[in-house]
Amino acid sequence: MTAIPIQPPLIQLSGVTKTLKGQGEPRPILSGVDLTVRAGESVAILGRSGSGKSTLLSLIGLFDRPDGGQYLLHGRDISRIPERRAARLRSQEFGFVFQRFFLLKHLTAMQNVAMALVNGQGWLPRRKRRAKVMTALEQVGIAHLAKHRPARLSGGEQQRVAIARALVREPRVLLADEPTGALDTETGALVIDVLHAATDRGCGLILVTHDHAHANRMGRVVRLSDGLLVPERAGVFS
Amino acid sequence: MGLSGRFRSALVIGGQGIRARKLRTFLSMISLFLGVLAVIAVQAGSVLANRALLADIEMVEGKDGTVVVGVPSGDRAPAAVLDTVRGRPDAIAMMSTSAIIGEPNLTPINPGGVPLRYADQGGPPVTMTCTPQGVCYAEPQESPPPRGMAIELQLVGITGDIRQFRPFHTEAGNWLDFAGEPSMSPRLVLNREAALAFTQYQLPAEMRIGSAYSGSADAGSPHPTPRVIGAINDGNQQPTAYVRADELLNWLSASAMGSQSMTIIMSPAAVTVGPTLRAKLGPELGNQLYFRTVDSRERIGGQLDLMRWIFYGMAALVLLIGVAGILNVGLATIGERVEELALRRAVGTPRLLLAGIVLAETLLTGLLTAAAAVVTGIVGLQAAGYFFGDKRPSLQNVAFPWEAGVAGVIAGLVAGILGGLFPAIRAARIPIATVMRA
Repeated sequence: MTAIPIQPPLIQLSGVTKTLKGQGEPRPILSGVDLTVRAGESVAILGRSGSGKSTLLSLIGLFDRPDGGQYLLHGRDISRIPERRAARLRSQEFGFVFQRFFLLKHLTAMQNVAMALVNGQGWLPRRKRRAKVMTALEQVGIAHLAKHRPARLSGGEQQRVAIARALVREPRVLLADEPTGALDTETGALVIDVLHAATDRGCGLILVTHDHAHANRMGRVVRLSDGLLVPERAGVFS
Repeated sequence: MGLSGRFRSALVIGGQGIRARKLRTFLSMISLFLGVLAVIAVQAGSVLANRALLADIEMVEGKDGTVVVGVPSGDRAPAAVLDTVRGRPDAIAMMSTSAIIGEPNLTPINPGGVPLRYADQGGPPVTMTCTPQGVCYAEPQESPPPRGMAIELQLVGITGDIRQFRPFHTEAGNWLDFAGEPSMSPRLVLNREAALAFTQYQLPAEMRIGSAYSGSADAGSPHPTPRVIGAINDGNQQPTAYVRADELLNWLSASAMGSQSMTIIMSPAAVTVGPTLRAKLGPELGNQLYFRTVDSRERIGGQLDLMRWIFYGMAALVLLIGVAGILNVGLATIGERVEELALRRAVGTPRLLLAGIVLAETLLTGLLTAAAAVVTGIVGLQAAGYFFGDKRPSLQNVAFPWEAGVAGVIAGLVAGILGGLFPAIRAARIPIATVMRA
């Protein structure tokens, strides 16, 4: 067996809690989640609907802040960072893939991918922007569809455009929230292939899914149950 | 780089948003267009009215800053005045008297040199009689000659080109040539009212210097044969003829010259004229000199202000309707773009930039609308000059006032900001987790 060097942690959650405050009674969703993700590692999160998988992903992706516990990114505590810094980190560190593709119908595939580059976090000249976009589209295998608008793309192709949008800034962590939920099994498997390929380039991957087959292709599988993360299958880094 | 990157990003994304919603942008531009056009029309109208009023006043009073010196009558005055201004390009002297042109031994159509439209409204000719104490009174002439083909006008003798101070508009023929020797046949340039009399009546070219109204144009008064060489608009309603002062003086006696009212018109730089003239006139007359600086611009500024503000108020109301249109469309659009905006936040777009994107869209809409309104204003003004220039000469060859263009752009920007502010704030507040729950 080949020894795999242990990478330093990209993400470390310890004792993270979150309570959703709606119109009714506050509902505790996460009651002390611990999770560590390293560079190049892929983690699948399983769990029932409403168990808090997406909430956990939104905390990791800095869409929201935890009520309690600690969140370290590259060893730095970002549990309470202001929104301005969070926006910069979302741009620099994370790539997001959602169940719905969220492509803007009036933009071409290339422009949809470029959207992640035209976000006010620095400025790239048009030529460099185009080169980066084409590289990302090539990584997901649809460079030839660069000038197509979403309406002319299949579901799988649209999701690959969304993945290219997530990859174009070369993130450290890919967060995918049920990316195959709207796709058939075969296309879903292709999408997972593309996501998995990103881990080969050193990118961490956290995949929220209901699909055990897709989850089993990840390096590690955890289950969110009663607000806690329970290991279901250990990975090579564990 | 950061600010520049954000600014560019806002423009790029804003431009994409406008392109994606062309029809909606166009519809919101229409209501705003009327508002911006109203602002441009008010500003342009105000500037043009100001210019026209100022131009009329300048013809009568002189350009702003011109110094007008009133010289008291007296035997020494004409010589002193003429000596003072001789050879000076920055000052001219002007002397006024009355004259009758036309058939001799007739009462002119307009006794007293009144405007022709009031010719029938005057009383009978009078004779002015002055007592040794200096009290003058008018007595109706016992048997005035019958009215006939003659007009009375104001005869203004000038020593130089008065147009540098009072910008008359030449309407026909030539202006006076001050080079060369004076002619015994005085060359006249008529103003519009005097020229009108010449077109309405057959007037023989015989001139009597003096007034029929006061009875001074009697048989003993000088009666040169003038030559009419041109016509100008001097803004004066009274029939007037301009003549070289030296050609007029060929026909006026020294006593007659001394009794004429004289005026010097000069530039503010002609600072030596006053002291020189005072010295030549001596203390008695010199102390009676009256200096006045023309300040028409300031004086008329207040006259138009109230009217302008009333129209601005009306234009602002129309503009507000346009703003409400943009606001309405903007809020509706934000409602439709919730997912897009949340996604943009998810990929790292800061809240401030998100608001900037929405504002950039409304600002671009406002600017495009302003550009369209300015172009419409320019074309409209040209069209008004083309179609109505004959009836309204003030509309002929009128340049579009730049102030109106600036007002239009400012109105467009303000409307863009007001119309985009609430949608921008709403856009910045869209929770990012929207994309997770979609």
